[in-house]
Amino acid sequence: MSNVQKTKLVVERYNWVERWTHTFHAIAMLVLIFTGLAIYFGWGQLISYHNARLLHMFMVPVLLATNWILVPYGILSHGWQEGGVKGIVKHFYYNYLFNIEDYRRLKGMVLNFFGRQKEYPPYTVYNKATGHYKTKLHPLFKIFIVVEGMAIFLIVITGIVIYAVDWSFIGIPIAEWLLIIFGWISPILNMNGLQFARWLHLALTYFFIAELICHAFILQFSSKNFMYWRSIFVDGKEYLDSPIVQVTDEEEH
Amino acid sequence: MASEKLNMIEQFKNLDILKVDRRTFLKAVAALGATSFVSLYGNQLAAAMSEITETKVLWLHGAECTGCTISALNASSPDFVDALSRLNVSLAFHETLLAPQGIFVDGELVGNSELNVEILLDELVKAGGYILVVEGAIGNGPDGTGKINMIGTHTFKDIYSKAAKNADAIIALGTCATYGGVTVTDSATKRYCDFMGVNQTEQRRGGMNAHLGIRDKPVINLPGCPAHPDWLFLTMAAVILGRIDLNDLSGVLDREGRLKVFYPPTHTIHDNCPRRGFYDRGVLDVRFAEGGCLWKVGCKAPYAHGDCALRKKNSGTSVCMQAGGPCIACVEPIYPNGVMPYYVETESAGILFGINIGTVAALTIGAAVVAAGVHAVRRVNKEK
Repeated sequence: MSNVQKTKLVVERYNWVERWTHTFHAIAMLVLIFTGLAIYFGWGQLISYHNARLLHMFMVPVLLATNWILVPYGILSHGWQEGGVKGIVKHFYYNYLFNIEDYRRLKGMVLNFFGRQKEYPPYTVYNKATGHYKTKLHPLFKIFIVVEGMAIFLIVITGIVIYAVDWSFIGIPIAEWLLIIFGWISPILNMNGLQFARWLHLALTYFFIAELICHAFILQFSSKNFMYWRSIFVDGKEYLDSPIVQVTDEEEH
Repeated sequence: MASEKLNMIEQFKNLDILKVDRRTFLKAVAALGATSFVSLYGNQLAAAMSEITETKVLWLHGAECTGCTISALNASSPDFVDALSRLNVSLAFHETLLAPQGIFVDGELVGNSELNVEILLDELVKAGGYILVVEGAIGNGPDGTGKINMIGTHTFKDIYSKAAKNADAIIALGTCATYGGVTVTDSATKRYCDFMGVNQTEQRRGGMNAHLGIRDKPVINLPGCPAHPDWLFLTMAAVILGRIDLNDLSGVLDREGRLKVFYPPTHTIHDNCPRRGFYDRGVLDVRFAEGGCLWKVGCKAPYAHGDCALRKKNSGTSVCMQAGGPCIACVEPIYPNGVMPYYVETESAGILFGINIGTVAALTIGAAVVAAGVHAVRRVNKEK
C-alpha cells in the first residue's frame, strides 16, 4: 500500500563507503582531466610534463579502484541486504537502469521546467516497510551512470596503449591486442590504431568535462536537489519530508 | 646519443655475427645501422660472402617517383655499389640504372638480352631464383586492366605478375610499393587508377598479390617515403645470410608486414625524437621554426613506428624533425590520407563533416554551461 504522506524521518541516503567512493572518484576525475589536458596542451607553466604524467598515472588506479571495485561493492552489498541475489538484480535494475518509470519522471520534470506541469515529480522512492530505497537517483543520473561507465572503460583501454604500446599484464600482451582491435575500427576515421586511441582518449576527456557540468551544475544547481551536495559529500542524510522524495509503505513480495 | 652508440658498439663488437642466433643478429642490425654493422663485421661478412653464391636481385619500378632508388644511391658507408658487392649481389635488372631500351620490329622484340631490356627481363624471370625488389605501386585500373601504369607496351601489372610468381622473395620498398603511398591519395580518380601495394593497400590486407592469386610468397615490407637505405641493405644481408627465414617471417614482421627491427611495434618515432625534451617541457610550437616540439604543427611521430629518429638520414646526420619538419608518418599504411593535413595535428583535423574534435568539444561544453545557467535561473525563479 502506497503512503505518500510526508514524514520527518531522516534516513541514510549514502553510507560512508559511498560518500568516500564518490569523493575519491570526483578527485580522480578532476585530476585526470586537468593533468591530461596539461599534457595535451603543454601547460608547462602550470605543471611540468613529468609531474602531470606522474599525477595522471597515480590517479588512474584511484579511479579504477573506486569505479570498478567500490561502486560494484556498493551495488552488491545494498542488493544483498535487500534480498540476496534476487535483491542484487532488483537493486541494480531499479536504482541504476533507466526504466519506464524514470522516463515518466523525466518527462514530468521537463514539463515542469517549461511550466507545462505544476508538480515536480519525486524521483527518490523510499520504502518505510523494508527500510530500503526502491529507487534513489535522478533519472538523468541513471543515463549518465551507464554512459559514464562505458566512457571510463574506453578511456582506460585507450589510455593503456598511450601509456605503453607494448604494455602487458602477466605476460598477456594487452596493448598489442587493443591496438589490433582499434585497428579494426580506425580505418573508418582514416586513422591507424594508435592514432584512433589518442583521438578517442581526448574526445572522452572532453565528454567528461561536459558530463561533469551537467552532473554538477544542471542537476544539482536546483534548490530541490541542492541538499544532496551535503548528503553525498558530508553527512549522507536524507530528509524524507523533501518534495522530491516519495515515501511508500509496501511489503515486498 | 654518441655515447649510446659507442656502448652499443662495445656490446656487439666481440660477437661472431655469423654464429649468433637470429634475434641477436637482428638486434645488432637494428642497433648499429649499416655503417657500424659493416665496419664491425666487414671481415666476417666478406668471409661469409665468399662462401655464398651470388644473389640475383631484380628491381622493378611501378608508379612512383624513384625516390627510394635515389635514397639507396645516396647511401654511404657502404655506398650502393659497395653494399651490393659486399653482399655478393648481382643487380640483374634495374630500369633506372640500366638505361633500358627495347627494340621492336613489326611489334616483335628483336635483338638479345644485351641489347634489348625486355628480352633481358623475360630471360631473368624465366630463370627465376632472384629476390624481387618492387619500388612503386602497381596500377590495377581502369577496370582491372592495369593500363593506368604502362611501361613500354606492357602494363606494370603484367610485368609484376610474371616477376612475382617466379621470385624467391619480394621486398616491397617504399610506401608506394608496400601500401600504395601517394598513389592512393584520395582524389576523384583514385578508384579508376586503383593503385595497389604488393601485399596490402592502405590498411586493407591483400594488395596486388591477392588480386593476382599469388599466395604464400614471402614478402617483406620496407615502407618509407623514401625508405632508408639501411633498411634495404641490412634486410638483404639478413636474407642472404639466412638470418631471416623466408619460410617463416611471422616472428620478424609486424602486422603491417614490416620488419620489427626497423619499425619497432614497441616504440613510436616520438619516443626517440631529437626534440622530445621540448615535448616533455611542454614547449609545443604553434608556428614553424620556433625550435620546440612539432606536435601542434602536425607532427605525426606519436602515431608512427620507425627507427628514423635513432638511425637518421643523410649518413646519420639528421632526421625530419631535427631539420624542422614534422613527421608525416610516411612509414604507416595510413599515409598519406590518414595524416593529412600534414601540418595540422591529428586531434585538430576535421573528422565529421570537416569539424574537429576541439570544435565539437567547445560547442558541447559551451552548450552544457549555457544549459546549466538557464536551468539554474529558471529553477530559482520558479522557487520564488
